[in-house]
Amino acid sequence: MTNQRGVLTRRGLALLLAIAVVCTAAITAFIVWRPGHDVVVKPPVEIEDYLFWQAKDLTDFKLTGADSKTLCLKDMKGKWSFIFFGYINCPDVCPLTMGILGQTFNLIEKVPAAFQEIQGIFVSVDPKRDTPELIKEYASHFNSKFTGVTGDTTQLDAFSRQMSALYTIEPQKTGDAYQVTHTSTIFLVDPQGRLYGRFPPPHTPQEIAGIFLKIRTFYNEGVNK
Amino acid sequence: MIKFFMNTLIALMFGFFALNASAEGDIQIQDPWVQAPPPNVKVLAAYLEIKNNGEKPRILTGVSSPAFGQVGIHQSVMHGNMVHMEQLKELTIPPHASTALKPGGMHFMLMDAKKPLNIGDQVPMTLTFQSGEKIEVKAIVRSGQAAGMEDHQHMNHSGHMH
Repeated sequence: MTNQRGVLTRRGLALLLAIAVVCTAAITAFIVWRPGHDVVVKPPVEIEDYLFWQAKDLTDFKLTGADSKTLCLKDMKGKWSFIFFGYINCPDVCPLTMGILGQTFNLIEKVPAAFQEIQGIFVSVDPKRDTPELIKEYASHFNSKFTGVTGDTTQLDAFSRQMSALYTIEPQKTGDAYQVTHTSTIFLVDPQGRLYGRFPPPHTPQEIAGIFLKIRTFYNEGVNK
Repeated sequence: MIKFFMNTLIALMFGFFALNASAEGDIQIQDPWVQAPPPNVKVLAAYLEIKNNGEKPRILTGVSSPAFGQVGIHQSVMHGNMVHMEQLKELTIPPHASTALKPGGMHFMLMDAKKPLNIGDQVPMTLTFQSGEKIEVKAIVRSGQAAGMEDHQHMNHSGHMH
């Protein structure tokens, strides 16, 4: 009996060991390898929460800037784009966030290689009041690397929905005195035109600049592999 | 003559503010300022801190400014990451407490500016409390992009004006 039990135990152990090995291998494979993608390196903990689990390819879009210039997906390629949705007559959160983003760019300027690669895009979701010319002046006030764009509802939706950046225009009160509800997250699109990361509020320039530089390092390490 | 006139004016101003201060001994206004407007912005926000040193709650019921057609007490409210503004009918400052209006939260929304404002300008505002008390403040226009996040090192304590 003792012998018999001993054999069973050894077999059981072997089986358990085999299961453990298979499971470990499967989990490792799942983490390291995702279908259709290159080897994925787990991002450093401090930037993990800012990244999308999987960078998301944006589909083409068309928004309008000043001087009848358009902004399309190809304008995102080769640059890191910081995107914020708002409207000019938003007295509190928009100037706060745009100001912080402007200061963020000033901090990133200390790393010239990174600074060359960034652009800021202010998307007005209030095209009725905000013309491309007004938006350009508004956006570039915060940093010379900011552009401002808008579009008709279809164009705005085609762009903003890709980031789940919802907005609603308050039912008309009196004339032009209406408000707009919008997201206060800053979105980050990578140089391949993929939605890569996001900065939820509350923001500080130090936080966004520091995290962005780490994200960029992580991204560059991945690209160069 | 001009000097005499100026002196009288200053004396009158002091008298006026002193009167206000005595009526408002319990209420202290600190660091009133207006966000310097970016280009093409018609709606501005003013911020300050209201301190209630008294034993009773104080209720702010209205704000007005000769520089603006309309002033409202507003609050930016976050639902998830969505933000919108709500109008507040009144603002209660509990006894021995302080309420700070700062970027990303409560603010006075300034609408229908009578003339464009520049950095350094002073915006007179009148705060009316439920008791009928009124406090005059002058908010300075400044670019306070991250002021809400800094420590109170820029506080000038001039809000009380006496």
